[in-house]
Amino acid sequence: MNNFAPHELRQTVLKMAYSGSTVHIGCAFSIIEIMSVLYRNHVCYPDNNPDASARDYLVLSKGHGVMAQYACLYEKGWLTTFDIENYFKDGSKLKGLSDAHVIGCEVTSGSLGHGLSVGVGMALAAKLNQSDQYCYAIVGDGEMNEGTMWEALLFAQQQSLDNLIVIVDENGFQAMGKTCEVLGLGNLKEKFSAFGFDALAVDGHSETALDNALIELKNKKNGSPKAIIAKTVKGKGVSFMEHKNEWHYTRLTQSTFALAMAELATPASSTSASEHAQ
Amino acid sequence: MRTVFANSILAAAQADKKVLLLTGDHGYALFDEFRKVLPEQFINAGIAEQNMVGVAAGLAKAGYKPIVYGLSAFVPIRVLEQIKMDVCYENLPVVFMGDGAGVVYSSLGSSHQSTEDIAVLRCIPNISILSPCDAQEMQYAMDQALRFASPHYVRMGKSDIGNVHTDSIAVPVGDLVNVRVGKDTKITFVATGSMVKTAMTLAGTAGDFSAWSVPSIKPINKVQITNLAQATDMMIVLEEHTIAGGLGSLVAEIVCETGGAKVIRLGVQDRFSQKCGSYEYLIKEHQLDIASLLAKIETLQ
Repeated sequence: MNNFAPHELRQTVLKMAYSGSTVHIGCAFSIIEIMSVLYRNHVCYPDNNPDASARDYLVLSKGHGVMAQYACLYEKGWLTTFDIENYFKDGSKLKGLSDAHVIGCEVTSGSLGHGLSVGVGMALAAKLNQSDQYCYAIVGDGEMNEGTMWEALLFAQQQSLDNLIVIVDENGFQAMGKTCEVLGLGNLKEKFSAFGFDALAVDGHSETALDNALIELKNKKNGSPKAIIAKTVKGKGVSFMEHKNEWHYTRLTQSTFALAMAELATPASSTSASEHAQ
Repeated sequence: MRTVFANSILAAAQADKKVLLLTGDHGYALFDEFRKVLPEQFINAGIAEQNMVGVAAGLAKAGYKPIVYGLSAFVPIRVLEQIKMDVCYENLPVVFMGDGAGVVYSSLGSSHQSTEDIAVLRCIPNISILSPCDAQEMQYAMDQALRFASPHYVRMGKSDIGNVHTDSIAVPVGDLVNVRVGKDTKITFVATGSMVKTAMTLAGTAGDFSAWSVPSIKPINKVQITNLAQATDMMIVLEEHTIAGGLGSLVAEIVCETGGAKVIRLGVQDRFSQKCGSYEYLIKEHQLDIASLLAKIETLQ
């Protein structure tokens, strides 16, 4: 594994999904680059300790994308090959949705609309402690249907939490269809700006664009909370999954597993190899 | 059981344009037929459950008959105040379906497991609570709920463990239904939902005892429970639900006022699921599997 290379992270997700016969593959694939950039360049864990009190917080509010995080925790060495290969086996500890009892997972966020508020609380704590810790909260666009998410945004602006960076995985889908057909969110960049956020919209699968946006926003120490609207593709990385919402629910078969793994054998053409810092 | 549920709401909606089905972006396959046949009576309210219940109340106030579907971990848990104030306070005819009750979502963790829904709803006035164990009891529950006379909650737990009853349920609302006749009156088993089959097995394995199913938690026939209590030494109550405030607590509340049997509550022992795994694995983790229950019963005799 080298430096959270997206195609390798996706391979780990597929191995877990296949061994555990799980769903939510599409939901994990849309946030791989976001996770990769955060773990590689931004989220700081003093002495690589996931419980370090001075750590930055990576809050996965869309808890059903957790396999993407498990893949990164595996590369960090906080999860073992046994954990990966025994996903969902009786007695195993890794659940299908983010659980704070799992080392490296900050929130239990299977229920949507919870994690962001918890992340806002962590960001507030850092401010109260005058520490320079950041809280990176990955939220779903479907999750923005929940009222609690907007309550959290109001509070973050009220408390001037410029150490909070909300990253919206805008893949345009949710469980039963397109977000715009279920409960449309319109222009999220404008909505976040209207809520007092410094907001940028970027290609959510370009590691360079994500990295630059994070750096630019973190340089603005102006009391305004930050937001990145990451334009993503549900199922990104495997041709027969991209833009296909059924991969929110579909389980892998032997053949779809083999096909998908083959497509991920080498780095995707869209994100050039040079982007992985060797 | 799920088919009876899906067919009942489709039939009700076909018979009455005022019947509407609301869901919080859940029920992916369950409502395919409904959405195809009656798209204008299907509302996906998105992942916004509290708003959905408020909207359902508004619709009901304007003469519509809403059915609100969600996982029981969200409906009622996340929308309890809306159920209390927006629906029950005005006794509005809204039917709530709580799916996946108990530890059905055994690999998704506690956020998707609901073992407290009966307890929280029991203390809200005006709402009936139905907890069917199989297709026949589900039909009985839907027949009550889809009269749209008052708020109803139908708890749908593990639904693929086979039927208990062969014919339809014909008892008055609130009655317990006998599911096993035993000659020994030392113990009487009372259970609801997924635990009814378990109770029948225990009643025939731990001895030759009687077993009763409870399809309606609220209202419930208190006199019938009192009579049962006075005809047995020990009532063992089984539920895939916390023992704090569920069916066991309800039976104990009744019996302690009238005397009779000792009441033993067997259910989720006030704990969260720890690990992940199959449904059977998690039932075992909560010691609600046959072997653990038999061992427990032995210590009681």
